[in-house]
Amino acid sequence: MVDFGFGLVPSSRINLDLFDKEKYDELAAMEPDVRICMACGSCTAVCTAGKFVPTSLREAIEAIKNANSEKALQMLESCQLCGKCSMVCPRGINTRHLILSITKVYSQK
Amino acid sequence: MTPLFNLLAAQAEVPEVIDRIPSGFSYFVLPFTIGVAFMFCWIGIGTIRLLAAMPREDRIKFWKSLFIPKTAAKNIKELFCDCLFHVKIWQRKPLLGYMHSAIAFGWFMIIILGHIEVALFVPARLNVTRGGLFYPIFYRYFVWMNPGHTTLRGSFFFFLMDFFLLYILSGIALAVFKRFRSIVLGMRHTTKPSFADRVALYSLWMIFPLRLLAESFTADLSGGSFLTIPVNQFWHFLFGDKLWFMPCWWAYSICLGLFFAAMPFSRYMHILTEVLWILLRNAGIKPNHPRKGVAEAEIYACSSCGLCLDACPMNVQKKNLKFSSVYFIRFLRRHNEKKINAIADKCLMCDKCHALCPVGVDAPALRRAQRATVNNSLPYDYSYLGSVVSKDTVRTAKDTGAAAELRPYSAAAKRGWTRPGSDGCPEGMVSEPIQTYSSNPEVLYFAGCMSHLTPRIIKSVEKIFKAAGVEYAFADRDGGICCGRPLMLAGKTDAAAATIAANKKMIQESGCSTLVLSCPICFKIFKEEYHLEGIKVVHYTQFINELIASGRLNVEKTDRKMVYHDPCELGRGCGVYLEPRAALSQVGTLVKASKEYDESICCGGSLGSLTLDTHDRAKISEASLTSLLDGKPETIVTACPLCLKTFSETVANSGRIAGKVKVKDFAEAISSTL
Amino acid sequence: MKNNILIIGGGPAGLEASAQLQRMGYNVILIERSAKLGGHLAKWDRLFPDRVPADEVLGGLLRAAEGVKCFTDTDIRAINRLEKSYNVRLTNGITVLSDAVLVASGFDLFNAVRKEEYGYGIYNQVMINADLEAYFKTGDDKRIENPKKIGFVHCVGSRDEKSGCRSCSKVCCATAVKQAIEIKQAFPQADVFCFYMDLRLFGRHYEDLYLEAQKEYGVRFIRGRVAEVSENYDGTLLVKAEDTVASKPLKVTLDLLVLMSGMRPSASVKELGEHLGMMVEEDGYFSVRSGISAGQRSPQPGIFLAGAATGPKTLPETLADARAAAMEIDRYLTEIFPDARNYKQLVKERW
Repeated sequence: MVDFGFGLVPSSRINLDLFDKEKYDELAAMEPDVRICMACGSCTAVCTAGKFVPTSLREAIEAIKNANSEKALQMLESCQLCGKCSMVCPRGINTRHLILSITKVYSQK
Repeated sequence: MTPLFNLLAAQAEVPEVIDRIPSGFSYFVLPFTIGVAFMFCWIGIGTIRLLAAMPREDRIKFWKSLFIPKTAAKNIKELFCDCLFHVKIWQRKPLLGYMHSAIAFGWFMIIILGHIEVALFVPARLNVTRGGLFYPIFYRYFVWMNPGHTTLRGSFFFFLMDFFLLYILSGIALAVFKRFRSIVLGMRHTTKPSFADRVALYSLWMIFPLRLLAESFTADLSGGSFLTIPVNQFWHFLFGDKLWFMPCWWAYSICLGLFFAAMPFSRYMHILTEVLWILLRNAGIKPNHPRKGVAEAEIYACSSCGLCLDACPMNVQKKNLKFSSVYFIRFLRRHNEKKINAIADKCLMCDKCHALCPVGVDAPALRRAQRATVNNSLPYDYSYLGSVVSKDTVRTAKDTGAAAELRPYSAAAKRGWTRPGSDGCPEGMVSEPIQTYSSNPEVLYFAGCMSHLTPRIIKSVEKIFKAAGVEYAFADRDGGICCGRPLMLAGKTDAAAATIAANKKMIQESGCSTLVLSCPICFKIFKEEYHLEGIKVVHYTQFINELIASGRLNVEKTDRKMVYHDPCELGRGCGVYLEPRAALSQVGTLVKASKEYDESICCGGSLGSLTLDTHDRAKISEASLTSLLDGKPETIVTACPLCLKTFSETVANSGRIAGKVKVKDFAEAISSTL
Repeated sequence: MKNNILIIGGGPAGLEASAQLQRMGYNVILIERSAKLGGHLAKWDRLFPDRVPADEVLGGLLRAAEGVKCFTDTDIRAINRLEKSYNVRLTNGITVLSDAVLVASGFDLFNAVRKEEYGYGIYNQVMINADLEAYFKTGDDKRIENPKKIGFVHCVGSRDEKSGCRSCSKVCCATAVKQAIEIKQAFPQADVFCFYMDLRLFGRHYEDLYLEAQKEYGVRFIRGRVAEVSENYDGTLLVKAEDTVASKPLKVTLDLLVLMSGMRPSASVKELGEHLGMMVEEDGYFSVRSGISAGQRSPQPGIFLAGAATGPKTLPETLADARAAAMEIDRYLTEIFPDARNYKQLVKERW
């Protein structure tokens, strides 16, 4: 297949075919509720660190599902584990554990 | 026989007691001797390794502590009260305390008394080369009472030995009974013993009945007292003149040997390890790793008694029994990484197990250390903390009443730096009516992350401050950074240190003299880890109580029936039990909960647990609520935003309680009477 | 004397209404233009949210309607309005003088071929919700052979000016979630994606269905419309959508794409409307006397409506509608219709 060079610029497009299913399954084994996030944004809204630097669990989960684990880690590196997101999540996800799990699973090389 | 008598008669003093066996040895002593020698080697080597693994300063600190009079006195007191008499268990469950102390103290006494007997009557045998190791244990086999030459002293010792043997046997009887009906001894749940535990346990149970058996078989030869002699007569009645006593002594020795051989692999190692642990703990040496160094003494000091399991709030569901401290320690010993992490991550960190452990094992601290081994190395980036500013906590209103000037706190802000895009003034603040106060407020109020989700606390606190004329500044009115304790609880100690440094800077630059916290989680870490020089750190219950007591705040007493819930972090965590109650008594009538003070049950909402799910937490909350409703209060008062939210939701979601009881915050309860 | 009631449409609404009316003692004649009774329900496998088998429900409806005179393969040739009644000539030659007419003409599925950019009818691996439901019922569809990656597209033909339908079809979101679960049950190793604009899961147990799909089956819900589908040389589909939450365009290769075709008013509406002189609104469904308090009465006295003829409905809503229509018919036939002298006055007051 001839590459016409349209791929020169880093893609600003999500490619779901690059999704790492194995790693995601590892994450889901640690914290099954990662699957039921409905991206409502409540966690981001109350985030303590989010006032100062971009910090968002919703974005991190979405980034993982969109095959961009570096962004996921970036979105969580300022987290203070204060627990406000756990208090407000409407789906009852244990967000603190999820944040720790994502960091554990995706920061491994 | 006769020549021996002649020999003896020729002696100046007629001995009361004679060596029946000149060699002072019999093969049956071997199981015991091998077993106990093995055990002593094990513990000797273990202790040496442990001391070697300690950092040098800690070792020196330890040796020194043994000679400091205050510490030495504490050591002796704890060794007697906790190791022998089990006072802590007596206080909670008397029958259980009797059981443990009967076996511990009783056995201790018969060993000591046995050695004294040998020292008094057959002193030559104390020498190790002449059988000193086993002679006192098998005294009644080796000696022969000289009839007609018994003294009061001799009878007294026989009496004491029999008495303590009976004492131990009563304890053993209770122990056996406890395996079938533990609730009679006050334990709803007991620990499941491991295989080595069972070997040691069953042989321990057998040791004393066998001792009674063996000693009673030889009672007509060696002498005895009110217990052994009647039993001896019974044997004669059954079997006639000749008694085969060898099998009994063999059995006794084998049981002893089995017990000591199994001891290092079972929970009973605590008998000796807890001595070491108490000495180390009182020297002020803390473990920093869940397994290595001092922690080794701590985890072997655990006796698997199961009090922690019985008291753990998670045990409302049987399936969560496996997360108790006793199993955590067991798996630590076995290096079972997977289970260790699972248990470490589940704990609510309510500290109840630590509070009632008879040996003072701090299992939550070990769990935090375990979490740190996994979580402390996770990547984080807190560089933004250096540029965080506490905006608008101090304002001076100009005389014209025009828009207030904002003066943020941190040094960076003083240089005129503000966040890009912000004008240093949060939306809407300018048009709000502001109270005027001087530039260095007396009090700095830090609400903490959670309080912003329970705004009635903040509103009530500010109302009280205004009513009492307190000059205060609200450090995190628009939200601040976390105090750092959730990070510490999760084991991220380095990240916590970074947060502490940033907050500390801000607080010290505020120029306040008192720091008031409305959240006990914040209070604990500000008090213990921040080391804020010259600043008094108080919880708002203490501060408000002081305001009432000094007359600065006038409250009205109503006839409302209230019950106070001791938050884990405030009560067991910081020892603050009385001030909240004193203040609340000024505004209403306090009734009792079925479990309060240091026995209060965690609300279930604790940040300490990383993996408990909502369903499990709801069950814990319900149990805690049931305890609080014991005195039929109208209002439940708590002094923690997390407890407040948890109880409010539990009451609202519970059909049968909803509407019947109100849940209020401490400040809310007080301010509503202003 | 028993009144005659003509029911047009042998789907769930028509069957349920006929059973009720027959029980009340009326003489019911049911006509169905296709060869089988049951409407769309006869083609379905399992019903959301609890996945009750459709045949069970249909069986119950048919049993209850036993005794009703049903004419399948029958349509209306002509209708004349007499004073109060309707003289109906059917295509099978029979003429019925009915005192009330119930229109239960139901709905059709949007013809997804019209949405050419999705490739239905062009690419092999694109199918619609009805095709998938048929597969679940019969187990036979050549397009489905161990698919590894499956996508569902919500709102096909609904909420879309280009497709000629502004409104939501109500039931497709729940159907999509249900089918996503069912296909995951059939192919546990597959990855399933649902591309939605809004998730409309309003009913009882619907949210639990959504949670189940996410938690137990790992279905991935992506908020964003599928805009373009192309075919790779191996027959797999290259699907382009936007992930609006991430604010980025997205592409993914799928083995199977299922389009959730929306509800349209039945094609018979135009003809029926002409025959009966009934009004049809802009959205193509029949007008009712009052959307809130008289949803089963048409503006004309004696003509009643039930089921999807008046707008997208779930199955329980359709059955409730049919029962309500039966009650309305009974009220009309006992209070208004018999009074020959004051008929016009009564109609004016109470219709």
